[in-house]
Amino acid sequence: MAGRPSIPTISSALIAIIADEDTVTGFLLAGVGNVDLRKKTNYLIVDNKTTVKQIEDAFKEFTTREDIAIVLISQYVANMIRFLVDSYNRPVPAILEIPSKDHPYDPAHDSVLSRVKYLFSAESVASDRR
Amino acid sequence: MAAATEEQPASTGSVPRVEEVEKVHETTEGERLERDDDDDEILRFMDSVDGYLLLMDSLSSALRQGWLDLASARHSMGTSRVSSTLFDHKEQSAATKLQVIDSADMQSSEPNPHFVLSKWHLEEKPSSNDSVSAQDTKPTLRFRGSATTPEDGSHQSDAALAESLAGVDTSSHVQRARSKALSVYGALVSPKLRTAQISFETALEVIVELANSRSNMLASFSQIKDE
Repeated sequence: MAGRPSIPTISSALIAIIADEDTVTGFLLAGVGNVDLRKKTNYLIVDNKTTVKQIEDAFKEFTTREDIAIVLISQYVANMIRFLVDSYNRPVPAILEIPSKDHPYDPAHDSVLSRVKYLFSAESVASDRR
Repeated sequence: MAAATEEQPASTGSVPRVEEVEKVHETTEGERLERDDDDDEILRFMDSVDGYLLLMDSLSSALRQGWLDLASARHSMGTSRVSSTLFDHKEQSAATKLQVIDSADMQSSEPNPHFVLSKWHLEEKPSSNDSVSAQDTKPTLRFRGSATTPEDGSHQSDAALAESLAGVDTSSHVQRARSKALSVYGALVSPKLRTAQISFETALEVIVELANSRSNMLASFSQIKDE
């Protein structure tokens, strides 16, 4: 279709993580950790001392880097920067909200499902017909 | 006379009426096909949403197992030995990466990226043996034709041997890569830390499937919205 934006093929892209210590530790065990020449990592450990500004800055950095294809973010952390996550609409990197130890996954807050949920809402269909 | 004149328009009007009826049939047929396409797209969308939710459940299970094993490892090894303070901040490249390919679905106006996981440098591994590297990269078609000559038979056994060697080589490479990731926590680690590593590797595979499911869902959604 004319005008459809194309996605460049990336042969070796990274997975970024914004989550609690245990989740980041686990994914680093799986070989996801990357540290570049400037000592920049592809993960941010969120604890009770991490500020919302730090989380926002990390999210903006990971979503603008060209070598990152997926950003994993714990859903309770995504709730802290919900406006930023919901306003993100690019295909790559893909943002995936994952559960954490103390906060199970809630589909009602998932940004991807929020984008498509109006297809399921009878209220929205009724309002279109009025 | 009037009746004759009245009859003429009726006889000349019957041909256009047939054409009109044919056009109406074509239009309703076209509408029916369009409705079928819409229904297919809606079904595809519902399937992708269902798949997404199922994968999320699967991810939750894998992560819970990983957290439990990590907590067990921390309990047996000590809190200070399994901690983020031990993370290596020297320059290092990730061993597990992704490939991103545009699935080129021209019917959708929404880009539809496809993600492929590549664990433990498997596709970047340099190989000293050319035949082994040829087996390593992509799956190739094996010749199963009527090779009755002994020469062809020996070639087949050589290919099978090369494949098994490649498999052994790959698994030993993966074990070395896993051990290197665990070495951050010391030379001797709890078996629970190893099982936590496997759980999180499983979680990574589910995450890549989730990312693909997300792309398909958004592509179907944009197509339904456009229609």
